[in-house]
Amino acid sequence: MSDLQRTDVLVIGAGLAGERCAMEVAASGRECVILSLVPPRRSHSCAAQGGMQAALGNCVKAEGDSPDVHFLDTVRGSDWGADQEVARIFADNAPIAVRELAHFGVPWTRVRAGTNHYFIKGEQVAIEEPKEKAGLIMHRDFGGTAKWRACYAAAGTGHAALYAIDSEVIRLGITVRDRMEAIALIHDGERCHGAVTRCLRTGRLGAILARATVIATGGHGRIYGKYTTNATINEGAGAAIALATGRVPLGNMEAVQFHPTGLWPSGILVTEGCRGDGGYLLNSAGERFLVALEPEKQELASRDVVSRHMMNEIREGRGVDSPNGPHLWLDLRHLGEAHLTTRLREVYEICRDFLGVEPWNELVPVRPTQHYSMGGMRVNKDGEAYGMSGLYAVGEAACWDMHGFNRLGGNSLAETLVAGRVVGRRIADALERTATSADIALVDQAVEGQTRRLRSWADRPEGGSVYEIRDAMAEIMMNRLGVFRTGDELDSAVADLRVLRERLRDASLRSTSPGPNPEIGFAIRLEGMLDLALVTAEGARARTESRGAHSRLDYPARDDERWLNRTLARWPVDADGPVLDYEPVGLLDLPPGERGYGHAKRVEMEMSLEDYNAVVEAAQREQGRLASAEAIGSQLREGAWRAAEDGSKA
Amino acid sequence: MREATRVIDRMRTDPPPRGSRITAPDGRKQVLYEVLASGSGAVLAVFMWGHMFFVASILLGTRTFDTIAQWMEHVYVAQPTVFIVLALFVLHAVLAGRKVPAQLRERKRAFALASDLKQSTRRWTGGDALTRPHAESWIWIWQVRSALLIGILGSFHILLMGLDIFSDLFGRMEGIEAVSSMARTRAGLVWLYLPLLIAVEFHASVGLLRLAVKWGPGNRLSRRTLWRIEHVIFWSFIGLGLLVLVVLAGWIDPPLAFLTGDGP
Amino acid sequence: MSETSAEQVASTEALVAERKPRRLKFRIFRYNPQDPNSEPRMQEYRLEETPFMTLFIALNRLREEQEADLQFDFACRSAVCGSCGMLVNGRPTLACKTLTSDLPRVIHLHPLPSFQLVGDLSVDTGSWFRGMSERVQAWVHERAPFDPEAQEERMDDELAQAIYESDRCIECGCCVAACGVAATNDEFVAPAGMNRIARFMMDPRDGRGRRDWFDVISSDEGVFGCIGLMACQDVCPKELPLLEVYAYLRRKALGGWFLGGK
Ligand SMILES: Cc1cc2nc3c(=O)[nH]c(=O)nc-3n(C[C@H](O)[C@H](O)[C@H](O)COP(=O)(O)OP(=O)(O)OC[C@H]3O[C@@H](n4cnc5c(N)ncnc54)[C@H](O)[C@@H]3O)c2cc1C
Ligand code: HEM
Ligand code: HEM
Ligand code: SF4
Ligand code: F3S
Ligand code: FES
Repeated sequence: MSDLQRTDVLVIGAGLAGERCAMEVAASGRECVILSLVPPRRSHSCAAQGGMQAALGNCVKAEGDSPDVHFLDTVRGSDWGADQEVARIFADNAPIAVRELAHFGVPWTRVRAGTNHYFIKGEQVAIEEPKEKAGLIMHRDFGGTAKWRACYAAAGTGHAALYAIDSEVIRLGITVRDRMEAIALIHDGERCHGAVTRCLRTGRLGAILARATVIATGGHGRIYGKYTTNATINEGAGAAIALATGRVPLGNMEAVQFHPTGLWPSGILVTEGCRGDGGYLLNSAGERFLVALEPEKQELASRDVVSRHMMNEIREGRGVDSPNGPHLWLDLRHLGEAHLTTRLREVYEICRDFLGVEPWNELVPVRPTQHYSMGGMRVNKDGEAYGMSGLYAVGEAACWDMHGFNRLGGNSLAETLVAGRVVGRRIADALERTATSADIALVDQAVEGQTRRLRSWADRPEGGSVYEIRDAMAEIMMNRLGVFRTGDELDSAVADLRVLRERLRDASLRSTSPGPNPEIGFAIRLEGMLDLALVTAEGARARTESRGAHSRLDYPARDDERWLNRTLARWPVDADGPVLDYEPVGLLDLPPGERGYGHAKRVEMEMSLEDYNAVVEAAQREQGRLASAEAIGSQLREGAWRAAEDGSKA
Repeated sequence: MREATRVIDRMRTDPPPRGSRITAPDGRKQVLYEVLASGSGAVLAVFMWGHMFFVASILLGTRTFDTIAQWMEHVYVAQPTVFIVLALFVLHAVLAGRKVPAQLRERKRAFALASDLKQSTRRWTGGDALTRPHAESWIWIWQVRSALLIGILGSFHILLMGLDIFSDLFGRMEGIEAVSSMARTRAGLVWLYLPLLIAVEFHASVGLLRLAVKWGPGNRLSRRTLWRIEHVIFWSFIGLGLLVLVVLAGWIDPPLAFLTGDGP
Repeated sequence: MSETSAEQVASTEALVAERKPRRLKFRIFRYNPQDPNSEPRMQEYRLEETPFMTLFIALNRLREEQEADLQFDFACRSAVCGSCGMLVNGRPTLACKTLTSDLPRVIHLHPLPSFQLVGDLSVDTGSWFRGMSERVQAWVHERAPFDPEAQEERMDDELAQAIYESDRCIECGCCVAACGVAATNDEFVAPAGMNRIARFMMDPRDGRGRRDWFDVISSDEGVFGCIGLMACQDVCPKELPLLEVYAYLRRKALGGWFLGGK
């Protein structure tokens, strides 16, 4: 075999989550190799603009904030779909993660003492920031939070964070093999031993053997084709290769977040920070429709809620017609040129470059667009996969599950770093305990299998184009698995996606040139994407309730009696569709209740919390959950949120 | 636009190995070289302005020219100046010349790049910095070309002036005087001075602009303003120089001689 | 407000209607180093222009409809990741944010020079930038280890903004490709490298002193390699004030000399 490398830990993905995890492993003295489709700093983490949630409570509007309030917001935001212990670990560690980034050099925007002018609920307010807070990390308002909590570096938070973390990776001398793609996992059904790779410079296959393998490949928004804010590289290869093992389940794939302000029609994101800093949404009549619909939070209700209100506006004919279909307006004019060219500079540049619009003079066309994948490879709180040891996942690719059915803006950057720290540490510890060796025959077999797969593509007789199949998939996903879903549409989506899988079997390549042929690379990724799409559709069809981002018109109520659980989808080898299972969301600490925005019907849970909690562990173990280093629930700090609740209501 | 084959440069040296780091063992020396290269250029440029004003005295008539020349030689400004300027000239040529790529292949690369950038026809949208096509790289190539010309013609001229000042080879006496200046200019040197004049004024005015940008003061002004200033300097001295040259060549009489009552 | 939106729609529609679709001619550099039969060449393609077409859209359409093995790099397609630098009619820029309507009918595309070619329009900027980061040690040289318990160190917001300003470089490589010195001298850390140095120099969290920096900048690989061609700033898609960075570093080098350097 041309390219076989051995290492302690293989991290697939060089975004924030993967690199932070690798840092932790490397710092413990272990050898670590990172794979990435692109140079690390081009990972999609760099595109995050708005901010990163951490309860530091530094500015006036953040006073009284604490990890407890953050925990509350996160669980409410998730519509109780989150694993509350993970949300707890997350909220407690987020401040450390933010401060650590400051230590690594992120130029966080800081508190300016004296009178500051902010836009709050449509009005300009002057707030006096006290001297003793001057120079601490500043916050901005984000949707679905009780306090201002998002720490930010102007409008380039992800960029600054990724560059800081990647500098540390370079400092630690960690090997990064960029333009190197993982196309399959090497495993023996019990344990993962690394991955088969395809080099995007030469097109050659190889293998990397590792004692622990981490999937950090980010989101899979590209199953929505061009209707996503995600980068072209967010094709969900990590989740797909985990699913392909037949053992590892994906969690909550039907939970797909739509961002209210994707630029129309290009899909490029303009950050939630725009609304956080006071931007409005307008319908075709120029009305701020959210003022009436969400008197409390207005534009800053959680993303699922705002997206639904926007789609309703459009459905009821108050959208703005354009050659590419209807959209709404984002109004930033009152924020002024100075603010837009500094603290929202990236937004201004996007408007200028892609629309030729000066946002202080003109309105910006926006529409809800696929944005974030709450679902992903299901892992326990140590980040280890269900059903397979030695395989981990962090970041957006994982379903660690602090987001449940809706992620709050700014929570995912924080997740990548918290999870990277926590899981990286756990992996380093686990390496102390385990001695494993992979069978070389296993490796050969895996590489051979992939060689056959690629060759089969190259050898096919003339057939349909892979790009047409992708476009068809995108239309199905956007139109039938969008903001609103109904049973009929989901039925037809499932059927049509199955047809597409058939069509893909008959598709063929147009080019045969040797080397890193981009078409064949896309073809094998498309296979994975179609699998993920089908899992998403099946999960959505089965879930007959509305929770968070999963909103069924035919089942508008949140049903805690039947559906306070997590979908787990496995794809047995050689099966032609996924098998769905369910597990309890995790130990409940905050009892299911009202979110405080996006008023919706609920079916209350009849079981008591105690009864629910009593079965969680066994039920999850049955689904393949591996033992975590600490007992389940040990990090939960039960009831700690009570004191915070009054404060957060204010 | 460049040819396909020119994009691939198989002769490139290997980039520095992974993990290497820069530390300049002779940083102090490097600063010195840089300051001397820039400084000598700046001093030469200022000298050229003085020089132009001196030769421009011919416009007031030959007698004024002679008076100034004789005075300068009398108080011994002229003699040391020759040596100083010659030294600066050589110093500058050596130090600044280091920056010109030594190998033909490298020069070709720089040339292709500069010409591409110049030709690029993109209408750039956006901020101040992006509104105009980029020509400065191309202009640098002309700076090198002009430098070559100056190197040849200028050193000849300086040696000639040295001979004139220190010997009586030219004219009736040691030193510079209008009659002999005019005589040798008319005799053909005008065709040497003309390109030298253009080259030197171009080289110096662009050089000063670059100096301003490189060390800072220029960055407070917009690029457009900088070039406007450069154009004013360039054309003023070209205008003055040409006038002087036609007078020296005897094609017109000193136009301002009436001011001093210095008839032809 | 409603009037504005109506007007805006009208004007957008007018804009779309007004522009007759052009038939664009692309001349694209093709070479696949992995294919022994491949020779460097320019190949021609034609494509109907659509409203608001960017080179991202155009190149993808070419790949999907006409030339399946055409290689190029895009990731974010929103001008933030720095993947898609290429020479557009001779000028290094981000293809994803280049609107074809800003270009003449004939569009020449070449890969960025100065970087190793991967194939067609794709070059290896990643290795170059990692090498540069290693050479100038582009990370915060911390004064003390991180203390998870402690409150963050304070910093003036003005300073934070200034650091952010130079932290905005997206490593697209356009400046490197545009710089005649970087094209001829592989050792030169080039504008992006210099910018990185300045960024860490002004960061109070970095413990490196004047002397350390003096060694890094004061050489022909460092700031004195620059001969003031100004192309870097003219092409930088992030509009970084690279020339100011250079002037700042030059003055620092001079200061270092007066202070005794080494
Ligand atoms: C436009 C936009 C704006 C956002 N803004 C915010 C925000 O303001 N606040 C916030 O908290 N969150 C935000 N998010 C979400 C957040 O940025 C992401 O969830 C997070 O960055 C994901 O990080 P990651 O490390 O998991 O994955 P990524 O950063 O996406 O990295 C994935 C890595 O995996 C690699 N990879 C993928 N497939 C393979 C393969 N097969 N083989 C090898 N390598 C592979 C890629 O090359 C890449 O290096 C935003 C997201 C988008 C799309
Ligand atoms: C043999 C003659 C000469 C040669 C070979 C020469 C060459 C050069 C070169 C290559 C540069 C660019 C250096 C750089 O950018 O770092 C330069 C700059 C410059 N030259 Fe000359 N030159 C010559 C004569 C002169 C003369 C006679 C003058 C003055 C009238 C002059 C004034 C300048 C100035 C002001 C600069 C800018 C300095 C700088 O950018 O560092 N040069 N010269
Ligand atoms: C060393 C000291 C110098 C002296 C004493 C000197 C003197 C003179 C004199 C007397 C003339 C008149 C013409 C003549 O007599 O032939 C002249 C003309 C000229 N000199 Fe010099 N020179 C000096 C250096 C230089 C240098 C370094 C340059 C440029 C590289 C230069 C460029 C010119 C030009 C272009 C003219 C033509 C004048 C015009 O067109 O206006 N000289 N110089
Ligand atoms: S400095 Fe500008 S041109 Fe250079 S790499 Fe950075 S962003 Fe690109
Ligand atoms: S283009 Fe190059 S020479 Fe200097 S001013 Fe920019 S680095
Ligand atoms: S694709 Fe990311 S900058 Fe162009």
